[in-house]
Amino acid sequence: MNSPIGKDAVKQALSAHAAIGLLASAMLYLVCLTGALAVISEEWQRIEQPDAPEMPAIAPEAVQKAVTQILDDEKALKKTSHLYVHLPTPGLPRTTITTDHRAVHVERTGEIAGREENGWTEFLGALHYQLHLPGIIGLAIVGILGVMMIALSLSGVIAHPRIFRDAFRLRARDRGGIALADWHNRLGVWTLPFSLAIALTGAMIGLASVTGYGLAASFYEGNLEKVYAPIFGGEGKLDAHDAPPPDVAAALRDMASRAPQAQPYYAIIHDPLTRGQHVQIIATHPRRLIFGEYYDFDAAGRFRGKAGLSDGALGQQVAASSYNLHFGNYGGLIVKIAYLAFGIALCAIIATGTSIWLGKRERRGLYHPRLRNGWDGVVWGIPAALGITLAVRLIAGQDAPLIPIFWSLLALILGLCIAWPPQRAAKPRLRQLLGFALAACLIGALLPQLG
Amino acid sequence: MIMPALWLWVGGLAATMAVLGLRAAWSRQHRSTTANALCWGFMGLALAIGWAAAGAWGMAVVSLAGTACAFILLAQAAITAPTGKASASTRRAHMLPEKGEALHLWRRIATFLLCVPVALAVALLLALAARAIASAAGWGEADSNVLTLFLMPLCWALLLFALLMTQGRRAQARVLAALASIPILILLLERLA
Repeated sequence: MNSPIGKDAVKQALSAHAAIGLLASAMLYLVCLTGALAVISEEWQRIEQPDAPEMPAIAPEAVQKAVTQILDDEKALKKTSHLYVHLPTPGLPRTTITTDHRAVHVERTGEIAGREENGWTEFLGALHYQLHLPGIIGLAIVGILGVMMIALSLSGVIAHPRIFRDAFRLRARDRGGIALADWHNRLGVWTLPFSLAIALTGAMIGLASVTGYGLAASFYEGNLEKVYAPIFGGEGKLDAHDAPPPDVAAALRDMASRAPQAQPYYAIIHDPLTRGQHVQIIATHPRRLIFGEYYDFDAAGRFRGKAGLSDGALGQQVAASSYNLHFGNYGGLIVKIAYLAFGIALCAIIATGTSIWLGKRERRGLYHPRLRNGWDGVVWGIPAALGITLAVRLIAGQDAPLIPIFWSLLALILGLCIAWPPQRAAKPRLRQLLGFALAACLIGALLPQLG
Repeated sequence: MIMPALWLWVGGLAATMAVLGLRAAWSRQHRSTTANALCWGFMGLALAIGWAAAGAWGMAVVSLAGTACAFILLAQAAITAPTGKASASTRRAHMLPEKGEALHLWRRIATFLLCVPVALAVALLLALAARAIASAAGWGEADSNVLTLFLMPLCWALLLFALLMTQGRRAQARVLAALASIPILILLLERLA
């Protein structure tokens, strides 16, 4: 059967695939690896702080008690703009309150249990979302990487006319680049629906700020809030006059009768202790891709309406579904494990891609030992640096400066790899470093058990 | 919805069967269009069952079952494949110069500028024009804004690919100019209306 794609198109597509791949591969690898690890962020939080109080559910009165206590404790400070109560869920059965000033765990009784310590999970999330860059810059760069991933998937399919025909062929024992190419192409073809879903939703989320500004400038006289209000609902009217704490318990009690099938997992107080304050409950709906529905209550806990993410306009439902589809938190542990596996497969596709390109050049007599060692530094050095950072967090504690540690470690590893003697490969040493990092993580995780 | 859990299992099973069917169909000496079409049809049916059982959530779960089955088959292929003697590809990707060739750095920078900032601007224009059309066609604000949010990265990715597939700087410029002029016109008309 002749390929419907011409030889020239295949050649051009391979160039396009290589161009985009080489431009984006190192950053894409970092984002994919951190994304795969972030799928199990609830589990990381439990590893970081195994002794935090856990409960299958919490009474509305206990939540009220904790909220009142926190707001009272922070009276001397600047009023927090929002107060978030994370309610216990099967994935993370903990109650946690976060304000602009701190984050604390709450006992089942509503007593404040102590500080939330999830520094590494936060570090990992920030690395995946915005590469630790300020404002929307990092978010937009991650979105751009999503665009690159879509283009890579498309060019990869066109550049390899036999990619579907050979979809089940994996010559894992062949040498000289065959095995590497087979791993790249097979994992690529079978993760294609996953990659496209992840890439498009990631690009949409990351570039929403850029598109949002465009929408605001063209249709809303520059008002960005008006772009998102029809989708997620608008913010309430500000009234900064003092007011007593809102009745969160009444809102939670109302939820139990109003939407008994829904599982509330967040209670958010907007502008607490002001007359403009209102309570929003986010609740998941069973067997839905949406991240939840926003149920809105006034300060007295009277229901005001919902945003419509579960049953409103199609656009609202699509937007609310794109987050869970991206993060893989819509089907419990099994879906999380599948996302973790596919995420690692994506990392393997990226890692093998550049190695295949380097291998082809070497077979044509063009050697780039520094580039080869540098790429190995990316592939093995990033997980090693992440592992060492986790070990530091587990051993040195919550206040360890994880961001400077990670980036200086990574710069050091990459610098050493590029400066490595060209006649020697850096990979064996990098693998040892990764092994050391994983062992250190294990020791760090076992330390609390050893007392 | 009758017993959605049961239908999800049926959908997952159908997706698994479709992947197994494709494995069998693609290993035949001669490709059979009928067998391939049947397997892809079965895959479509599986996704439809997932959708009927639990909407987008059901479809996502069913497709995960099919992908998981393919991964198991791949693992089996990796374990059982004998050591071969085939020689690996040396296809040129034309990314770096061969020995004695010039680097053409300015040409590369120009390609980057066309494919990244310029294509981003054109993609944004296309998405905004689509929003204007959707709005004029009576779509609600939520639907048209979400359409724009999704269209921008999608248009950019397609445009990026199209530009890299187009040979010659003039042809690339023509593609960009043609694609930018349409949304500019639509947005101007929208302003005037």
